[in-house]
Amino acid sequence: MTPLARSFWYAGSIAVTALVVVLWQAIADHGGIPPVFLPGPDRSWDALVAGLQGGDLARLTGATIERMVYGWILASLFGIALGALIGSSRLAREYIAPTLELVRPVPVSAFMPIVIAFIGLTGDMVLIVIAIGSIWPVLLATVHGVSAVEPRLVEVSRSLRLTRLATLWKIALPNAQPDILAGMRLGLTVSLILAVIGEMLTSEDGLGSYILLAGRTFHSADLFAGVILLGAIGLVSNLALQAIEHRMLRWTRR
Amino acid sequence: MSLIEFRGIDHSFGARPVLQSIDIEVEESEFVCIVGPSGCGKTTLLRLLAGLLTPAGGEVTLGGKRVTEPPREVAFMFQDYSKALLPWRTASGNVSLALEASGYPRAQRPARIHELLEKVGLAGHAENYPAQLSGGMQQRLQIARCLAQEPEVLLMDEPFGALDAMTRQALQDEMLRLVESTRTTALFVTHDLEEAIYLGDRVVALYPNPGRVAQVFDVTLPRPRNQLTTRESPEFLRLRRAIFDFVREGET
Amino acid sequence: MSKLAKGILFPVLFLLAWEIVMRATRMQSDSLAPPSEIAAAFWRAALDGTLAQRTYETLRAALTGLAVGGGLAVVMSIALGLVPAFARLMRFSIEALRPVPSVALIPVAILVLGFGYAMEISLIAFSAFWPVLIYGHAAIVNIEPQLLEVSRVLRLGAFGRVTKIVLPAALPRYFVGFRLSAAVSLIIAVTVEIAANPMGVGHELMVASQSLHPDLMFAMVLWIGLVGWSLNAALLFAQRRLFGPAGAGVAAR
Repeated sequence: MTPLARSFWYAGSIAVTALVVVLWQAIADHGGIPPVFLPGPDRSWDALVAGLQGGDLARLTGATIERMVYGWILASLFGIALGALIGSSRLAREYIAPTLELVRPVPVSAFMPIVIAFIGLTGDMVLIVIAIGSIWPVLLATVHGVSAVEPRLVEVSRSLRLTRLATLWKIALPNAQPDILAGMRLGLTVSLILAVIGEMLTSEDGLGSYILLAGRTFHSADLFAGVILLGAIGLVSNLALQAIEHRMLRWTRR
Repeated sequence: MSLIEFRGIDHSFGARPVLQSIDIEVEESEFVCIVGPSGCGKTTLLRLLAGLLTPAGGEVTLGGKRVTEPPREVAFMFQDYSKALLPWRTASGNVSLALEASGYPRAQRPARIHELLEKVGLAGHAENYPAQLSGGMQQRLQIARCLAQEPEVLLMDEPFGALDAMTRQALQDEMLRLVESTRTTALFVTHDLEEAIYLGDRVVALYPNPGRVAQVFDVTLPRPRNQLTTRESPEFLRLRRAIFDFVREGET
Repeated sequence: MSKLAKGILFPVLFLLAWEIVMRATRMQSDSLAPPSEIAAAFWRAALDGTLAQRTYETLRAALTGLAVGGGLAVVMSIALGLVPAFARLMRFSIEALRPVPSVALIPVAILVLGFGYAMEISLIAFSAFWPVLIYGHAAIVNIEPQLLEVSRVLRLGAFGRVTKIVLPAALPRYFVGFRLSAAVSLIIAVTVEIAANPMGVGHELMVASQSLHPDLMFAMVLWIGLVGWSLNAALLFAQRRLFGPAGAGVAAR
């Protein structure tokens, strides 16, 4: 399909979404559903703009994003380091990796009550839970990528007489790049989720607590505005990572 | 004492004997080709010298010293070049790997990389990734990386086997030029008899199952070799006949 | 040492050390409990029926949500796959809706449906929708074109084509999508219970944490992990039986 045709279809799909929004407005205005349950797009938009310009939404969004990113960076650093250690040692792979597989099926949100029991309902708690929860995709991906090096490259590193550390840094880790980046992308999704839940549970400043409160006080327009923002955060962060991944993995393409 | 000596080499993979009582000597700056059918252990011999394997019996010496780990003076060219290059590094980056490994002074690396890439005719592709290079170019890149090690001994495991005939011939001549200019000792494994005679000063023919030295042929063809004239010379044809008969006898 | 033994050694030693340290120091803690007490708490919960009750609540919500979300996704993915124009027109809406984290919709669900099963099921359905949609769409789009030609030659008609050719060919990939959605369903169920909904194992876990019963808390975490693992293992087993080891053709982790 020509690029022009592709753009046309994409514009068409945007038009379809716009149609859905119009439908939403129509139902909100004439559908007989009380506005407290279904605010129209107009009210939601107003709430969004008002909240960002004059109100707290900008600050709260920043708080959530900050939490999400810090936790994710922490998790990624530890996950890569730990994963590199475990993945590069045959001993570690045989004795420790199975334990990782045992912990994997536990939903990350289940860590939250445990950490609450230890630290209580503070902002630190949320950050720690985010880090603990987001580490898994990165850790597992790194272990997998580091341990699955092309045997020929291992021989190359031997015949070049590279030290173990140099082999890890110059060969095993770069080899794991695609896996690590995919794991980090998954980790970011997890951090957003945990940030929101953490804010809901601890009432720390953030979009999570904001929308929970809006729901409780029946400020549905504010609630929808918050949800839209969270969706936007999810979308933008994912697109940003995909773009970075695309650039970093240039070498995989012809 | 020769530069390289294989003395009474025995080796097996599990229960299967692969090499038996191999005695070979290689002098400095010699170009020795090893030929034989599948199962004669020629690749194994190379890997023993490269320190990637330890012989079950006998010893391999380099410069009088026993080979127990990959020696600094030896560079190994793998047959599956695409798997032996780092796909995430550019051509320069791949050559750089050898320089980094040997501790070449950082400031002088770019110049040296450029020099080596020029030598193998890849100067214009310095910033390309291996995936963007053709098979012949990838193999030349591997040559460049081996040269970056400034080896005394170059080991080549059927390096041109996966290339088309024209590229193969071009690389054969390039290889001869490079090896001659640096006076490097070379061991070249191939199953192409004509290639072995064309390139070598001596050809070692092995019997298979297990690998044993059948005979060593001296190649007295004049240098520099020429793809057309050398291959048509009566001496070339005589050698080809002799080795072919030998190898075929060994297969029965 | 066998592979199994090697894998178990580390966790067993860890549990032993944990037990010994806590007992030896006579540690009293509101957040930690020795493994023996955790086991005891688990046993108690199993015997007095709360474990069964809570597990039933969670599983009922998860599986219902999976059925609803997965079912809608199957229909939608077939439409997207067989009518490319539809897929092109829906692209933006799907790309805009997908990144919304299901947890963000918790307050919306509470607002509209209150607490209880309906709210949890709707959130699970929303989350379970996506993996089946993505995998299913890919499966249908990738159907060997010759199979579709066969359906034309046999003059099967739209319904026949879907039921006799499209679905069977796409089935292995759909199953992989369902496996993923099943895992997601369980995770979302537990998450919603931890965050807001007063029912199920997630809620039980939260209550144990807040009422300072670390033994029950850890017992619930382990139980949840076990349920998740069993569900995935059962589905993996079913997949292998139904489609053979190479069946899915998709490396699923």
